[in-house]
Amino acid sequence: MNEEIKNTVKQVLIRKLLHDFAPEDINDDAPLIELGVGVDSVATLELIVALEEEFKISIDESEVNQELLATVNNISDYIWKLVTA
Amino acid sequence: MPTIPDLFLSTLNKYKDKTAVVEGGRRVTYGTLDLMVRSLASFLISGGIGHGDKVAILLPNSLEFITSFFSVSSLGAVSVPLNTAYKGEEIRFYVSDSQIKLLITEERLKPIAEKVTAGLGVSVVVVRGVKRDWSFLENDTPAYITTLIKPDEDALYLYSTGSTGRPKRVARSHFNLTALADNHTQTVGLTDNDRILFTVPLAHTYGFGNFISAVKVGASIYVLQEFNRNKVADLIERESITLFPAVPFMLNVLAETFTHKPRDFSSLKLVISAGAPLSRQTFFKFYERFGVYPRQLYGSTETGVISINLSEDIENTFDSVGLPVKNVEVKIFREDGNEANINEVGEIAVKSPSMTKGYYGLEEQTKRVFKNGFYFTEDLGKMDEKGYIYILGRKKLFINVAGNKVDPTEVENFLLNHPKIKEVVVLGASDNYGNELVKAVVVPKEDMDSKEIYAYCKDQVADFKIPRMVEFRKEIPKSPTGKVLREYLK
Repeated sequence: MNEEIKNTVKQVLIRKLLHDFAPEDINDDAPLIELGVGVDSVATLELIVALEEEFKISIDESEVNQELLATVNNISDYIWKLVTA
Repeated sequence: MPTIPDLFLSTLNKYKDKTAVVEGGRRVTYGTLDLMVRSLASFLISGGIGHGDKVAILLPNSLEFITSFFSVSSLGAVSVPLNTAYKGEEIRFYVSDSQIKLLITEERLKPIAEKVTAGLGVSVVVVRGVKRDWSFLENDTPAYITTLIKPDEDALYLYSTGSTGRPKRVARSHFNLTALADNHTQTVGLTDNDRILFTVPLAHTYGFGNFISAVKVGASIYVLQEFNRNKVADLIERESITLFPAVPFMLNVLAETFTHKPRDFSSLKLVISAGAPLSRQTFFKFYERFGVYPRQLYGSTETGVISINLSEDIENTFDSVGLPVKNVEVKIFREDGNEANINEVGEIAVKSPSMTKGYYGLEEQTKRVFKNGFYFTEDLGKMDEKGYIYILGRKKLFINVAGNKVDPTEVENFLLNHPKIKEVVVLGASDNYGNELVKAVVVPKEDMDSKEIYAYCKDQVADFKIPRMVEFRKEIPKSPTGKVLREYLK
């Protein structure tokens, strides 16, 4: 998968939710739930909107669940499929 | 038109063949809705429900929610709508506090409803889903319900969030609700030609007030179970929606959502923003994207709609919640109890025919905020020389998460039951965009991490109450008198 996508996902996560983090603090496979990602629907929707804007894609929020948001790898996989579709 | 059945019957007589409710592929007229209401009311009677009984409605925005409310009202019973975001003990509290006899729900929520009401003597009936206890058949010919209802009888219980650790029960009578519909519709100029999109919960005072007003004028009600940006935009375009009650978070998300082609929102006559302050950024961003100005509405669970900003000079007054709606009086009081001058900040107080008499079983709290015929909102604000109201702060200690009010004490009490938590303070913090979120400062008894907090909250409390930020400390900063120094925790 494209490393650039992963890095951009991390930057969006930091911008929207994980303000005190640096990209190198977030492991690709680390469970994001431990950092509070995906715990509430308001924050989740804000994240989706930011990812859409960044990658110029449309995400159906009804498809977004905790598994999709579980790790940077999972989010990046999903985005990879959308941008290459 | 002093009762809810009177209001419904009046609309039915005028608009029998008009579209009443649209939900997905379902579209029913007021005539069909009437048949459904009477059919469900007959079913409820067979379940032992009658005049004065309390009936919980645990349903998302749906045709069944609307049917349930009018069915319960037609029997002279009291509706208690519950937010479907609520979890276990939250639902149990409301059911127990309201002395619910029967709970109406959908198939998806039946297991949780049965679990949390166990031992309370509550019947659970499913009216939505594949396996349900009540179904409406097109050839049903249900009997007319002729319950004699007095206007001052309770029609609805809602719960008001405070900072006292438990929600306060607010009763609204038939008269209160019909007065609300009269005041709101006359002020806004709603008509039977309006098509109103509800994605804000009907179970909440804001959604409910607009919903009952819509029925009053025979408007068409479009319901979405939850806020989904693309479904909202699709419906506005496809159905030429004229009125959209929203919260600022929704407006901001719609304005920011990436789309490959422009959206056409030209049918919208009125976009209402309530539940949280509307920022300048969101106001202009929404207007620039869709060509319609959001207008702030002010209301409360205790009073219903208080004011709305319909100013022609909206660009310069967007931050005002406008003028009081018809038959509602607003005054600003200083701390010394005297009325404030123009543009002087004080506490906003409201006198309205649609307001409750007080909180059930909470005499002291009722006396504190219901005085001399006014409800003291605990919101701080001012009124300008034209009578426009501006909200500038609040005395109440609650957290406003995208329009959802969260009582920090309630969340603290819940978290304190965690075996590893010794002490906790819950407070509102801001993210980088000025949105309020729930933060928990935790003093643990032993090693723990935030994952354990999230896991503990999940399926136990509504997701908007879950602390998005968790900070662990060795101790909570306190004053010499033991008061928590919250300013050091933000």
